[in-house]
Amino acid sequence: MSAVVPFHRVNVLCGLKSARLVENAAEYANLIRKAKRPLLVLGPLLLGSSPDGKLILQYALDIAGAMNIPICATETVKGKMEELGVKPDSAYDAVEIANALKDLGWRGVRKEGNHDLVILFGIRSDLGNQSLSALKHYAPHLKTMTLCKYYFPNADYSLPNFKKDAQWQEFLESLIDNLRKGA
Amino acid sequence: MAQVAEKKLSTKLDEIHELIRAEIPWEPIGPTPMPEVPDLRNWDRRLLKTYAPWYAPFCDVCALCTYGKCDLTGGKRGACGIDLSTQQGRIILLACLMGCSAHAAHAGHILEFLTERHGPDKKIDLGPFIEIEAPNIRTVVGLKPETLADLKIAIEYVYKEITHLLDSTHTGQEGSYLDYESKALHASMLDHVGMEVADLAQIVGFDYPTSVADVPLVEMGWGAIDKTKPVILVSGHNPATSTVVIDYLRENNLEDKVEVGGVCCTALETTRYSDRAKIVGPLSRQLFFIRSGIADVIMTDEQCIRTDTPQEASKVDSLVIACLDKAMYGLEDATDMDTEEIVRRMVDNREHFAILDSPKAAEVAVRVAMKIAPQRRKAWLTSEEAVELAKKCTNCGICEQVCPNLFSIGDGITEVAKGNFDLIKKQFNLCIGCGKCEQECPNHVPIFKIMQMGASMDTWKARVGRGPVMDTEIRNVGAPITLGTIPGVIALVGCSNYPDVDDIADMVDEFAKRKYIVVLTGCAAMVAGMKKDADGLTVYEKYPPDFDGGGVVNIGSCVANAHISGAAIKIASIFAGLPLRANYEVLADYVLNRVGACGVAWGAMSQKAASIGTGFNRLGVPVVLGPHSSKYRRLFLSRKEDDDWSVMDARKREIVDTGEPSPEHLAYVAETKEKAMVMMAKLCIRKNDTPQGRSIKLNHYISLYKKYIAKDLPEDIHLFIRRDPDIPLVYKKEVRAHLQEIGWQPKEPVGLPTLIGTYPSKVSVDAVIH
Repeated sequence: MSAVVPFHRVNVLCGLKSARLVENAAEYANLIRKAKRPLLVLGPLLLGSSPDGKLILQYALDIAGAMNIPICATETVKGKMEELGVKPDSAYDAVEIANALKDLGWRGVRKEGNHDLVILFGIRSDLGNQSLSALKHYAPHLKTMTLCKYYFPNADYSLPNFKKDAQWQEFLESLIDNLRKGA
Repeated sequence: MAQVAEKKLSTKLDEIHELIRAEIPWEPIGPTPMPEVPDLRNWDRRLLKTYAPWYAPFCDVCALCTYGKCDLTGGKRGACGIDLSTQQGRIILLACLMGCSAHAAHAGHILEFLTERHGPDKKIDLGPFIEIEAPNIRTVVGLKPETLADLKIAIEYVYKEITHLLDSTHTGQEGSYLDYESKALHASMLDHVGMEVADLAQIVGFDYPTSVADVPLVEMGWGAIDKTKPVILVSGHNPATSTVVIDYLRENNLEDKVEVGGVCCTALETTRYSDRAKIVGPLSRQLFFIRSGIADVIMTDEQCIRTDTPQEASKVDSLVIACLDKAMYGLEDATDMDTEEIVRRMVDNREHFAILDSPKAAEVAVRVAMKIAPQRRKAWLTSEEAVELAKKCTNCGICEQVCPNLFSIGDGITEVAKGNFDLIKKQFNLCIGCGKCEQECPNHVPIFKIMQMGASMDTWKARVGRGPVMDTEIRNVGAPITLGTIPGVIALVGCSNYPDVDDIADMVDEFAKRKYIVVLTGCAAMVAGMKKDADGLTVYEKYPPDFDGGGVVNIGSCVANAHISGAAIKIASIFAGLPLRANYEVLADYVLNRVGACGVAWGAMSQKAASIGTGFNRLGVPVVLGPHSSKYRRLFLSRKEDDDWSVMDARKREIVDTGEPSPEHLAYVAETKEKAMVMMAKLCIRKNDTPQGRSIKLNHYISLYKKYIAKDLPEDIHLFIRRDPDIPLVYKKEVRAHLQEIGWQPKEPVGLPTLIGTYPSKVSVDAVIH
């Protein structure tokens, strides 16, 4: 397979180890289900709305809700979550959570042990890809995945560059359905 | 052998003592005059124990030698034996060395230029209110510089250290990331010495404002440039060229006839020399202004100038004079050519030249500008023309893919095609001005030209850079800062790679309103003035120019950053009475534990920004960076729950585990300005705060958190409360309830907190007691 070029060219990979591109929501759901202690890290881009007016954060909360996945709210996400009646399990920023996750002995956001799958969603793509680089190189004990609409080469699993928001939303809705079925 | 080694050491020290004139006892000589790499290594290692390097590699490989490319993923080592972390430290050191050498070379050049003009004995006199003229040089070098010749001693020390440090990046040298980081901290400390040399020389050599707070306001924005006159644009950082242009205009009575505008730090320098010069804008406006064709002649000097300036200028029939050897663009060197001949060829043949003689370059620039200006059409695009040009855009999205600020200018252009300019006006503030969108556009839409319609033709007011903070001001604020009753010093510095230009003015306003001292340099100092409030005032008009709570102070250009680190050092000297001379470790320890200062490099882009920031870090000043700065690959982050927050209580001679993460990080990236502001308030907390000071600082931390993040309390608030009086009055009930819920226990504040005594050091605890 030829290398996938990330949508934002600032994230072009210089190297060898790039994310496996996953286009099938059921496969993504399986990967999440297989994890013992997944963690959803949410960024401020989720506070925007999709073209149909739905708060993107709602997709994240539905994903978390489907499998009781703990949430780390970065930046300004916590306030909006609380408005929606959801309390995040922790509030660290992108680089802080990546710093904690590097430590195999860290007890995780629910104090149950470090996480084995970290799902980034809603962090601006340059910062997100750099945070994933920290995990790729310094957290070999966990896998990473992204839910944003672009390809992130430094993750272990990434979505493709969706040409249309509707395709991406369809993927997220299908992922939520699959997770709910599994649960 | 041991005797030989001792003799060598002694000879070396003798040489240093001779250079710093040890016989003049202005202060006792501290432990590290002209420190070399190992001399402050233990201090660095203590810092790095709590603030461990956080690496986010850009590349999986090393490609620096012909063994490679070497795959460094998965714990693999390269053919030379290097691992990924050490490679990151190496790259960081290289970046810091680039930054340090840019300022040091600037300093060296300007010293040479001014020594030629004034002689080596020109006195360093900064006016009646500044006695500590060179806090960085005094503290690092151990020299009290009295003349330009003394500054040369300081810069030659910097050159020597740069060579040693660069040597260590060669294949098969350093093998520890911690040692590379220590070297990066060393290089960056030297950067502050180099910057101080440059700006002191400029202040005394060009007679810049000094010992005065109320410096003039100058006009800013391209609307301020009178394009009916010949226009000379100066671009870069080194004022040797632009000041000579002003001299030429003055001498020939042409100041009213020719416009001089600047981009980037040269603009700030030029307005320190003449308040009739104009600031076009920060670095992000450079290419826009060049492509507007308003400039008849563009004079480049050094650092952050477009490397394609001649090509871009040719497109709009502007002419370029490269004035320094740092960037000659492959142009013919006309330094020794007859002036008449240069003017003729520039006017008749539209040729660009390198002219490395400032007076000659100035004369040529003025004469050429005056000759070609009447021949050139300088008109802004009309809205009708913009709409027509925008119609070529299919909004294919390629522009968004290549945008370093990750936004879709195509959305704005398609709106223009419909006659709507609202979006493109907003996008102009997001644009960092690189031009990659237009380069990649498959339909060849002249995006920059169209964006002229979005560019505000407004003018703003920026305060002229005023140079060092006065000793008298330090005397007034030293106690309130160290005790915490002035909640902090916020230093907004660095380049214009902003998520949004407006962020800077918003941050300044928020903190000045809260009575922090706000200081600015470089591009940040310009863009702070590029937003008006409802009354039409910029932050420079709204707040006083004093180094005091609620003041907004433009310190100057990039090299003036040394006056910010210098102010922190002066607090220790003037307020605490600590000797500066060759006493870096004690001073840095003081700043880290007692001076509530926080740097903010929100648009950091360059290697110079890397070294400026890392230099602040070694001095104990934390820095908040914008989201792009994750691409520097390295931060200094703590793990607040797990790291070692022990300090020595110097009065009791006991090591105390405070559990208090202050300051929490040394180099940190925020994604949004909202979170950055909350972090800035938190990073001003210091262990030395009095209960009253801590309560004021926590009041701002909590209120900013509630304003921007969430309605509850910050999760870590308990870590910063030592006893009940630390709790801000307005949040007393809520915080007490929270503390009770989590089982918080009070603890005694530390009387005289210091890291000295908690790690191996030649410095004794006695040295920090004042």
